Amino acid sequence: MLWKNTRNEWIKITSKIRSYLGIGALTVLVVVVQVALKADGGSFISYVTASFEQTLSFNGKILNGNLVAFIVLQMLIVHVPLLIALVTGDLLSGEEAAGTIRMLATKPISRTQIVLSKWIAAALYTFVMTAWLAFLSLVVGKFIFGEGDLIVLNSSGLNIIASDDLPWRFALSMLIAFLALLTVSTLSLCFSAFAKNSVGPIVATMAVIILFTIIGTLDVTVFDAIKPYMFTTHMAAWRSVFEVPLPWDAVWESIVVLLVHIVVLLGITILRFNKKDITS
Amino acid sequence: MILRLSLFVFLALAHANFAQTSEELLKGVILKINSVKDYKADISIKAEIPFVKVPIAKATLYFKQKDKFKVVSKGIAILPKQGISDLTSFLSNESKYTSLLGDSKTIGDIKTKLVTVIPNGENNEIILAKVYIDPTESLIYRTVLTTKESGTVTVDYTYGQNKKYGLPNKMTFSVDVKKFKMPKSVASDIRNSEKKTKDKKENKGVITITVIGYEVNKGISDDTFKKD
Repeated sequence: MLWKNTRNEWIKITSKIRSYLGIGALTVLVVVVQVALKADGGSFISYVTASFEQTLSFNGKILNGNLVAFIVLQMLIVHVPLLIALVTGDLLSGEEAAGTIRMLATKPISRTQIVLSKWIAAALYTFVMTAWLAFLSLVVGKFIFGEGDLIVLNSSGLNIIASDDLPWRFALSMLIAFLALLTVSTLSLCFSAFAKNSVGPIVATMAVIILFTIIGTLDVTVFDAIKPYMFTTHMAAWRSVFEVPLPWDAVWESIVVLLVHIVVLLGITILRFNKKDITS
Repeated sequence: MILRLSLFVFLALAHANFAQTSEELLKGVILKINSVKDYKADISIKAEIPFVKVPIAKATLYFKQKDKFKVVSKGIAILPKQGISDLTSFLSNESKYTSLLGDSKTIGDIKTKLVTVIPNGENNEIILAKVYIDPTESLIYRTVLTTKESGTVTVDYTYGQNKKYGLPNKMTFSVDVKKFKMPKSVASDIRNSEKKTKDKKENKGVITITVIGYEVNKGISDDTFKKD
């Protein structure tokens, strides 16, 4: 029954126009970035290598599909949560706003299973968005710019990673990005359980992300104690996969923090929905 | 009588050897350089540079007289800006510099003579070059280049099968690496607070080029040096 209901939820998601807005916006954004880099990628490269160019010369194809994919991911991973929250923030509150929630509650399925089926459908949508982002940035990027080593600038300096060492790194980074986005989906679903319209959960989700991101970037010691537990701190953990050597401890910590957030938020959603007085 | 004559010949040769002027030492080197019309070399590049982590890169190096030079690599290869081909092309034009003979120095187990080269013009990238030459084989074993843009570059040479052409099979570059200026957009790394590297002090980087194989004077088309 859970899977049957999940299938129904998936059909509901795919039948809404707003579900395709995210995919469309993502496609346009990635294409714009790729066209811009094709036209003027050289200036971006000199921005990365500027500190070393007086003494060293960088030979080889620096602007390649892997670098473009990395740039695209870095630019867009911040904006994708909004596109996902647009859909997942509507899953429970949308039923209430449309008046279909009573009909849903009369089905021979527990309320917990209703929430779980909606969450699985939300996870599937999040996965599709992540996979689409990966396809556009990596596959299309490599088709346009070709293969090559990846040059990454981070706080420890420049890391150059050989192209044959990259597929598993991109796969792991996308997995972590998926977990980060699933946390956002679960958060918006959780807000959705408390709201009676779709706008509230979407705005609340974005407000939380913006607030936590600002707290995370503020260099104030008061927030140091809470920063490691905020999910927004770990949303950028996918970048750590491109460090040499890979900081496994930090990556595992981020995965655990994100998973804990997902479980807790899903638990709150189930509790709330089970106790909800469905009258309309 | 024969003994006296032998002693005379030996002393005369020894004197001739030790009395080589800086110009003669450089001429011997230039003769070897000029015997190479072109070469193609498969190389491996190991770069140990502060703030840069890079795997060992494989590349092909093309050279054609007088100053055509190109590096082709499948991946990203980091090379020093100065010291690969610019010194030899600079030395080839004797009217452009003044040389002075300096002290002797043993590098490894090779006795070398120091020749200090000062450019005559004021617009040269190389400000001063200290060249340590083995007078018996006319081979450069070390160069210390002081440059306008790239600071000081020290290059140590090791020779193998292509000694007769003056082509080394290993070059070790020691380069100045300036302060690493981290762009602000990168400063918001996830664990930024744990490893702040905003103002790292100046340091030395070492780049080792090992030649896997040479193809000397086999002819290289000018098209090879065209920009991609």
